[in-house]
Amino acid sequence: MRFVTKGRFSFRGGVHPPEKKELTRDSEIQPGPAVKQVAIMLSQHIGAVCESLVNKGDSVKAGQKIGDSDAFVSAPVHSSVNGKVKQIALQSHAVLGRSMAVIIDAEGDDNPASQPSHTEFTDSFDIDSYSSAQICTAVRDAGIVGMGGAGFPTRVKIEPNPRMPKETLIIDACECEPYITCDYRIMLEWTKQIIAGTRLARKASGCSQVFIGIEDNKPNAIEMISRTLEDCGDGDRIKLAPVKTKYPQGGERQLIKAILRKNVPAGGIPPMIGVVVLNVATAAAIAEAVVSGTPLTHRVVTVTGEAISKPGNYYAAIGTTVEDLIEFCGGVTESCAKVVLGGPMMGIAIADLKTPITKTCGAITVLTKRQIGRAKYEGRQTPCIRCGRCLEICPENLNPTKIAHAVKHNLLDVALAYYINACMECGCCSYVCPANIEVTGYIKTGKIFLARQKKKMPE
Amino acid sequence: MLKDIAVSNSPHISKPLSTRAVMVDVVIGLVPAMAAAGYYFRVRALILPAACVISSLAAEWLCNLIRKKPGSLGDFSAVVTGIILALSLPPALPVWTAVIGSAFSIAIGKMVFGGLGANIFNPAMVGRTFLTASFGMLMTTWMVPATIPAALSEICPENNVEARTQATPLAWSKQAIKDENGALIYNEQQFRATLTGEVGGCLGETSVIALLIGGLYLLLRRTINFHIPLAVLLSAFVFAAVFYLVDSDAYMQPFFHLSSGGMLLCAFFIATDPVTAPLTRRGMWLFGIGVGAITMLIRIVGGYPEGVMYSVLLMNAVTPLIDRLCRRIPAGGKPS
Ligand code: SF4
Ligand code: SF4
Repeated sequence: MRFVTKGRFSFRGGVHPPEKKELTRDSEIQPGPAVKQVAIMLSQHIGAVCESLVNKGDSVKAGQKIGDSDAFVSAPVHSSVNGKVKQIALQSHAVLGRSMAVIIDAEGDDNPASQPSHTEFTDSFDIDSYSSAQICTAVRDAGIVGMGGAGFPTRVKIEPNPRMPKETLIIDACECEPYITCDYRIMLEWTKQIIAGTRLARKASGCSQVFIGIEDNKPNAIEMISRTLEDCGDGDRIKLAPVKTKYPQGGERQLIKAILRKNVPAGGIPPMIGVVVLNVATAAAIAEAVVSGTPLTHRVVTVTGEAISKPGNYYAAIGTTVEDLIEFCGGVTESCAKVVLGGPMMGIAIADLKTPITKTCGAITVLTKRQIGRAKYEGRQTPCIRCGRCLEICPENLNPTKIAHAVKHNLLDVALAYYINACMECGCCSYVCPANIEVTGYIKTGKIFLARQKKKMPE
Repeated sequence: MLKDIAVSNSPHISKPLSTRAVMVDVVIGLVPAMAAAGYYFRVRALILPAACVISSLAAEWLCNLIRKKPGSLGDFSAVVTGIILALSLPPALPVWTAVIGSAFSIAIGKMVFGGLGANIFNPAMVGRTFLTASFGMLMTTWMVPATIPAALSEICPENNVEARTQATPLAWSKQAIKDENGALIYNEQQFRATLTGEVGGCLGETSVIALLIGGLYLLLRRTINFHIPLAVLLSAFVFAAVFYLVDSDAYMQPFFHLSSGGMLLCAFFIATDPVTAPLTRRGMWLFGIGVGAITMLIRIVGGYPEGVMYSVLLMNAVTPLIDRLCRRIPAGGKPS
């Protein structure tokens, strides 16, 4: 039986925000804008920041490596266009505030972002012609990082590590964030490529079993993938695991819990229990990198939200600014109140529309005041009534209100005693709070304080 | 374009739910009890809640004014406190007493702690305790439901239907412990009377059916969790059953204790007040068990016929301790 969970299993807690996927669910992946200028961030991942390999005035080719680092946990970055380096300068970065970027003026007219062709993953694809080491090297050279949001260098994840042997590979195809449909479209349109990528990742990591976890609100994708699996030789080892539709089902800890019924230790990572979790888009990128040697220079981005005139899914060059993408989609309507990189639950609201998209950015969500909610938009927070809703839905089984109030009163030791570091920042607690308290916000602030405190302390 | 885009922490959407909506839900849950009170105690069931609500709101408004804080009447919590207090008062209580009681509830029970969310004790129970301590006589003068015809004076010996006063079933049970005639007093007819509410007692506490409907509504709406009500009722049942099994002459049946006095109002509406109850599930169980057991201890062993308000206040006092003891363990276990 290929279906292992039948959508019954899940994790404890979680919320059901309005899905809003219908805005872009049926829009096929279109070529993104042909940009005049891109800004390639030198840090698009967790780990060491890359050093620029080019200088001002250099000519670069699309796919040319322009930044790299010697550190183990890092990934190189590549130019997504043909052109000339204009400068290397600070640029607004969604996560880091400001960070160095290589700014490239596009030249020539072969720059529109066209999608890869998919025939090579079907007819001539032969898994046996790649060795594990070959795959790892190709993944590293292509600069692949987790494309679901965190951006952990993929090579580090899939490379066999004798200290933590890997047994299970899980492909995260949940896409539990509201609004976003980029992974869904990839599943429908690039199915073979995903399967090829999954098989390559399995081979590289030496995992014995593979699950593809999909939320059960995507029956078309489930159907499509299960059909493709049947046609492919390695299909027996890859099992489809439909899981319950619930946010944050796509969080790796929650997905592992749902499929394997195992808990990742608090503050730990999946390899500790022999599991590797890769996003579907990452799997697709692996296939592309290994089979055709293409570096990760483009990705599918969902541009969506009630305030976008023409929402859709676009295959966009990394380094395209948010502004270019929004304009390409017909601009925003009057009611636009917030521009979010990512989805509304975990995405990051940006103030500077010149912020370029990175490898980890799957969506631009432009929200209206109505969607945000009036009280939230105005930041009206009332006292906590200790209703316990945040405790009930916390997928990590924490006591969010206690932690948040400890941070508010600067009692970091209390916050630690209530396991602040086990919080995955999913945002569920802020979402349900009737008093509209920014519970997650306080917790994030507390983590930053703690990190600072640690730095200052002598060894 | 785009001059005024906002930046803030994620998440960027929130569930359309407010503190006011939660409070309004509680008020809706109390409607059946208020309706039953209206049926049995007629105009008193209108005057007392109205007086309590108005006085609560006025007290809250005044406190905010003095503390120079923004108004908080909009969260409706004062309305809930007023109604709950009114429903736990004897129907014959003079209006001025009720007004004092609810003003005390809000001012001393809630606002001195810093307003909603900061109070340790259930405000309505604070007010009721104050009234019991100050106006003991008035707080134990009961009224016969208007539906009982004067001819039915044989319901219980000391009933004086002429004067339209009646002892509550809990008072009989207290007497029965001395006289060892529990089985005599509590018969099927009495049981039916408590179901509908056709007995003496506090305004909103007499009708079991009305309270159950309201409680069920709150449970279905998920405004309250089942843990506290279940724990309260179970522990009271077990406590009463033990005594009943030991001496069924002196002690009433466990069901008697569940259906009379403030037990149900407490289980569904008072002990479940989120502000003054523990946050964690295990804590809720402990809290509920404590409330049920202490109530029964007072009823059976202690000096008063009813113990709900003291047991709630006592357990409120240990809620911070319970919360500290019953911490949640992260899903991934304690980090090493
Ligand atoms: S959901 Fe909000 S009001 Fe309820 S306990 Fe948590 S922080 Fe307090
Ligand atoms: S405390 Fe952290 S993990 Fe729990 S609901 Fe809030 S954000 Fe999510």
